[in-house]
Amino acid sequence: MSFLIRAAAIAALLHITPVVVLVKRPDAVRALLPGADAYVAREVHLSAADAHRLHESVDWSPEDGVLVFYGGMAGSTSMGALEFVRVDTPHGPIEVAVGFTPQGAVRGVVVTKATVEMKPWVLEAVAAGFTDQYRGLKPGGAAPAGSAAIAGRAGNLAAYVAGEVDKGVARALAAYGAFYNHVRT
Amino acid sequence: MLYDLRRADIRIKWLVTGLLATLGLSYVFGAVMVALYAGFTPQRVAATYAGPEMSMTMPPETTVVVQRPMAMTDFAKPEVHTVDTGLLIQDTHVHVPMYGLIAAALSVVVAGLSLSRRWALGLIGLLFAAPWLDFAGMWLTKFASPRFAIVTLAGGWAMGVAYLIVAALAVHQMWLSRERS
Repeated sequence: MSFLIRAAAIAALLHITPVVVLVKRPDAVRALLPGADAYVAREVHLSAADAHRLHESVDWSPEDGVLVFYGGMAGSTSMGALEFVRVDTPHGPIEVAVGFTPQGAVRGVVVTKATVEMKPWVLEAVAAGFTDQYRGLKPGGAAPAGSAAIAGRAGNLAAYVAGEVDKGVARALAAYGAFYNHVRT
Repeated sequence: MLYDLRRADIRIKWLVTGLLATLGLSYVFGAVMVALYAGFTPQRVAATYAGPEMSMTMPPETTVVVQRPMAMTDFAKPEVHTVDTGLLIQDTHVHVPMYGLIAAALSVVVAGLSLSRRWALGLIGLLFAAPWLDFAGMWLTKFASPRFAIVTLAGGWAMGVAYLIVAALAVHQMWLSRERS
């Protein structure tokens, strides 16, 4: 039986559909850093110890051990920051943009990429309003619960993909809380 | 030879024409997909297949931050599509059998053409060698040297050229040649 389950999982992994862009990155940046007219990329190269700490916290390691935050400025005023986080699922990767206010709370979440297979699930979940649940979340606070919020109002697959986005938001919160303003340049 | 497309029944000619048209359509979109995801230059192919796996960076002793200014246009820059080992295994698993069937189908067409034995064998060899070159180039680019990207390009072009030769000869001999029945 376990062989059959493993074979089914492998078969699913071997037939991942191509990734499509749902929202272009510049559009996500405009939506999540409104009013910003200058941007800075802040690359945090994690030490082995910090990478391990992050992994223990949210079961995730960023690509090449580097977290990238994008800060937005309007003149000398900070408009916040955002991260693009990739979540690998059995149906392929999704990319989630998570924006933060200057006070460190989640301003918004945009799903920027998904596979062809998952695209309708994402659209259904977005239509059900699951991204609204993330607004105001802060690092160390309540866990993201977009999936639970739409469980009764949307289909199982929409709730499933919202659960994957929950993981992405949790990763962004953990990374932002631990490394955005707490490491000197 | 009993099997001669010039004198074949019209139903066979129609079948071969339909096959060539369908394969031609898939080849056109195959080229568009290559343009979108890998490109037609050795540099872009190498960037797609060699990827970051060629260099293994060690984490710093302490976490460090590097800042750089960005313009909105930087966010719009196309990202390089990379194919990691897992995806290359999947691609090889999915595409190579299909390439084999396409090469076999086109070889059956070649067998019905009025060609010398040497030319027919050469053309059939090219039809099968092209996908081998294509995928050998991808694996060599990943694990030997990015310079092998040229092998993938050669394989891709060979596939297109072999198809065009077979299609042109078949259409000419089936529908335009004076010797057809």
